[in-house]
Parts: sequence; C-alpha cells; structure tokens
Amino acid sequence: MDLFLQTLLNGLLQSGIYALVASGLALSVGVVGIVNFAHGEFLMIGAFLAWAASASLGLDPLLSLPVVALAVFGVGALTYRVSIRHVLLAPELNQMLLTFGLGILLQNLALMLLGGNTRTVSTPYQASSLQLGELTVGGPKAVAFAFAVALLAGLYFVLYRTTLGRQMRAVAQNRRGAQLIGINVDRVYLLAFAASCGLAAVAGVLVSVLLFASPTVGLVFALKAFAIIVMAGLGNLTGVLWASVLLGVSEALVQTYVPGGGGWSDAVFFLMIFGTLVLRSFRGSR
Amino acid sequence: MKKMLLTGLMLALSGAGAVKVGVLLPLSGAGSVSGQAARSGYLLALDEINRAGGVLGKPLELEFGDDGSAPAKAVPEFVKLVTVDKVDFMVGGVSSATSIAISGPAKQYNTFMAWIGAAAVPVEDAFADHKYFFHYHPWAYYNFEAILGYFKTLKTQRKAKNIAIAYEDGPFGSAGIDATIAAFKKAGFNVVMAEKFKTGSGNFGPLVSKAKAAKPDILYWIGYDTDALPLATEVKQQNLQLGLLYGTPPSWPVGFEKNKLSDNVAGLSLWLPSSPQAESRKFVAAYKKKFGTTTEEYFAPLAYVNLKSLSAAINAAGSTDKDKVAAELAKTNMPTPFGPLTFSKSLKTQYQGFKSGNWLHFQFLGDARVPVYPIRFAQKPMVWGK
Repeated sequence: MDLFLQTLLNGLLQSGIYALVASGLALSVGVVGIVNFAHGEFLMIGAFLAWAASASLGLDPLLSLPVVALAVFGVGALTYRVSIRHVLLAPELNQMLLTFGLGILLQNLALMLLGGNTRTVSTPYQASSLQLGELTVGGPKAVAFAFAVALLAGLYFVLYRTTLGRQMRAVAQNRRGAQLIGINVDRVYLLAFAASCGLAAVAGVLVSVLLFASPTVGLVFALKAFAIIVMAGLGNLTGVLWASVLLGVSEALVQTYVPGGGGWSDAVFFLMIFGTLVLRSFRGSR
Repeated sequence: MKKMLLTGLMLALSGAGAVKVGVLLPLSGAGSVSGQAARSGYLLALDEINRAGGVLGKPLELEFGDDGSAPAKAVPEFVKLVTVDKVDFMVGGVSSATSIAISGPAKQYNTFMAWIGAAAVPVEDAFADHKYFFHYHPWAYYNFEAILGYFKTLKTQRKAKNIAIAYEDGPFGSAGIDATIAAFKKAGFNVVMAEKFKTGSGNFGPLVSKAKAAKPDILYWIGYDTDALPLATEVKQQNLQLGLLYGTPPSWPVGFEKNKLSDNVAGLSLWLPSSPQAESRKFVAAYKKKFGTTTEEYFAPLAYVNLKSLSAAINAAGSTDKDKVAAELAKTNMPTPFGPLTFSKSLKTQYQGFKSGNWLHFQFLGDARVPVYPIRFAQKPMVWGK
C-alpha cells in the first residue's frame, strides 16, 4: 500500500514540472495559434541562465528566477519580432518548419558555445524532503508543483479578469474581428509569445535545480508538453494541470508496476496522444 | 622578398612527406566531455613528440575531425580524413555507436586504426576481422570484471548481498544486462531489482521507491552523466538506505563533485590525477604546464598514450608501411599513467591494450574523486553507508 501511495505521490510531484512547461506552450498555441517546436529550447536557455547565475554569481536559482524569466521574455519578444511575426499568415507547415529550425539553431548554438556537458547547480534544499509516515515528498518537486498551480491560476486570472486577457481571447477567437474593434493584434501576439517563452524559462530554472542544464534538456519536456496540450485541448489552459497530473501519475504507475516499465515511460505519452485523438474523432463522428 | 620566398619554401619542404595522423573525436554532442579531454591529450603528446624530433625525422601532423557524437556524422568525417586529407593512420574513437558505423569504411580503405574508446562488445565483433585494429580501452567485459571483483570484496568485507540494478534502455545500458545479472547471481549476490530507465528524463521517483521496497545493499546504475544528480537527489529525498551508490557513466557532470549530493557516490575510472604512479605524475605536471589546469577525465591520458605509442612504433618501423608499424606497435611495452601498456589478444581482436587490471574504483569524498579500491591504490578508506 505504501508503495502504491508513494507511486501516486511521485507521479503527482512529477506532473508539476510537466504543467509548468505545458502552460507556456498552451499559451502560444491558444493565443498566437502557433505550435512552437522551439519551446524546449527556451526552457534550455532558462536552465543555462540559472546555472550561470549560480556558478558565476553564487545566486540561488530561485532568487535569479524573476530575472531569468524576464530575460527569456525579452528573447521571446525578439524572436517574435524577427521571425514568428512574418509567418503568422503563412501555411501551418511553414510555421512549424520555422519553429523547428529555430529549435535546432538554438540547440546547436548552445552546443557550440557551451559544449555538450551536463551542468548542475548546488543548493542546500536540493535533497530536502518532507516525511509523512512512510511517504516522502521531495522539496524541489513540491515547489515546482506549487509554482505550476500558482502560475496557471495567475494565467487564468490574466486571461479572464484583465483587459489584456480579454484582448488575448478576442484575438485567439477572431484575429480580424479583434483588429476591427481596435485591438493592437501585433502587440497582443508579441506579449503572448514572449510570456510563453518566459514561462518556459521558469520551468527551465526549476529543471536546473531538479536535474541539470544541457543543450538537449528541453527536448524531453517539450515532447511531453505537446502530449499534455493535446490531451487538454489545444490552447485550453485550465485543462493543462489535469492533463499533466494524468500523464505524471500514469508514467509513475507504469514505471512501478509494469515489468521493465522505465523503458515504457515515453510510450505512455504517445499512447495518451493517440487515445485522446481517437476518442475525440469518435465523439466528433457521433 | 627572396628571403620570404625561401622561408616559405623551407616550411613547405619540411612539411612534405610528414606523417599525418587523423583524429576522429566527439568534439561536440553528448560525448564531447570525453572528446575534448582526448583532444587535449593528443595536443600534449604532439608537442612532446615534435620537440623530441618528430616522426621519421619530420614534425608529426594531426588532422582533427568531429564525429558530433553521431554515427551519421562520423562516417563522412572518417571518409574525408582517409580519402581527402589522406592521413596515414587513424586514432581517436570514443563512442561505440560511431565506431560501429565506421567499421565498414575502415575495412573498405584498409585503414590503420589505433582506437582509444568504444568499449561495447559489438565494436569488438565489428573489428574482429580487421588486420590493423589496435584497441586501447578495456572492452566492456573487462570493465564488468573489475566491478564484479570490487563487489565481491564488498561482499566479504561489508556483507553486501543484495544488488539493485538501474540501467538506461539504450545500447550502453542494456547490452549484456542479462549476462551482468547472471554473473552477479553466479557470484552469490541476490539481484533484488533490475529496472530500466530513460536516460535524461530525470524521473527516478518510481525507480527509487521500488528500490526502497527491495532493500538493496548496493544500487548499481548504468547510465549517463545526465542521470547522476537526479538519481542521487531522489535517493537522498526518499531516504533510501544504501551501502553504496555505484555508477559507471562515461563522464560525470561538470561540478558534480562540489555538490553535497555526490558525497560517497562511487564510480569507475581508468585513471585519476591523484594516481601515485610516476608516469601519471609526469603527465599531470606536463598537462598543467601546457593547459594551466588539471583534468579528471581519463580520455586525456589515454589519448596521450595512444599517440606516443603509435609514433614510437612508426619510428621503430622506419616507415609508414602498415605491416611494419603493426608489428612494432604489437611489441609495445611502455610505462604509462595507467600502468604498463602491452598488446595481447582479447576474446575476438588481435591487439588489445588495457584490460581489467587497470581500473580504479573511486568515491566522491570532500569535493574530489578519491581512489578507494584496489587497496594498493586507495588513498582513503571507502565510506560504506550501512
């Protein structure tokens, strides 16, 4: 029974980091309408910036988090101005090719400038945990989960309770209509895309504490984020947390109870994408 | 003007007929820590060789190629070195996957290869019939022989009986895992868990929970540097009581030794800079003089030994004739930072350099890798966690 409960807890805690990564992607898909294949690379930039602040200035990653998020927000804004903006009206395939190329470019730049080494940060709370009887709650993962819940709540508030949020939803629903009633669509897109990159950086900072910084660290999380936004419904922010929990817990159950389950963990999210798409098409045909 | 032309001519003539050695390494990508370390080792050896008069009376030349840690990039890079740069000999090779990929072209061009890495058994199979293949790094079964020897000592001295194995699901972790489990069982250990994991995923929560239920004395993980910190973190967070957490990644994360979570984590290395051997001390001093720093990566001295031994063999052969050089290299008996280097048969290849007796077991103790076994090389007693 303890093993089962610990497995559920492991899955729940893991889902926090998944939700953090997926929230930014959901924002860029939902508002800007672009599937950003370079999302994992913005996470990687966040992880490296947190590592650099820790290694060179001795700054705790959680303290450097606001600065890192702001810096990557800036990188995202620049990326939007230089590239994304010019393909917004282009066919979806072109948009995907652009972000895919951007991802490869950023990853290879990191490889050239920093090498392929894995870099780790050292914090006093890295191995902290809370003991609940026989169950253990890992400190940094619990923080990541709390961050994910708070950020998703914050995003929800911005989208549904502020003027900017209303503008974002209007642009997402009907770009031309929003333009006709005087909304600066370009500004809304820029803010939404930059914010999605900033959210990826927040996830990156936590990944640097939980795992490591390396040029390829973002890939595995970006793939899982795609699975989550497909399950949640493209652009559906409220569904992101539940989809993340479902993915995290399913992976943990497979890893613990299926023989050789560790090797199957990546199959879980492909299976979930497959299942969700089949279910949706089945419902749609009725 | 005449003087400049004359100098140019002299330089061009001095290079003409020089022995060229191609070096294929992972200078970028996942294996770049080892690749960059090896590059430094080659550059140091090149300096020393050329200061001592070069090879066959001319300065030795190196042509570096980056295999990008990827088989698809390794093959064209190898072919370019052999056919366009027309190197006389090939050295380098860290990854098993890239080495398997180039085995075809190596045989096609009958290339002389003095290879430093690539320990997986499929590489041995791929080069078993290649006449000019000299392998320096111990094969994987020699590595395991060294690990088993150490664990047997722990069984006798610390009553270690139960082993949990965590292995990555790629060829590095999974190849030969059944034989590993069988060998542990044959040696009288209980293998209480053998779990796969996805390298780089960092998701060790369920695996450690499972290990906790199995109550192992040793957790032996076969994975990459990306897995070291997440695994150590999860072991600590879940308070998994272990005698030893033992890993065999090809390299460790940068700065891992400074992290408190690395304390008492143990691993395997062919060499450590603190090794007391005279040749090792000489290498460390020369390396520090050239690069202003030291290295903990054993691929640096391995590359150094590789080029030094090859150049000595070419000089002894008196030409670049492959058969003559192979005959001389096969006779090698030189002191190295790892101990004496000689070549003898392995299970399938003709010329194998280092074997199981060259491995050192270390522990991360007080911000450094400290040798703890074999006892004659131990600088501190091993810390057993139970």
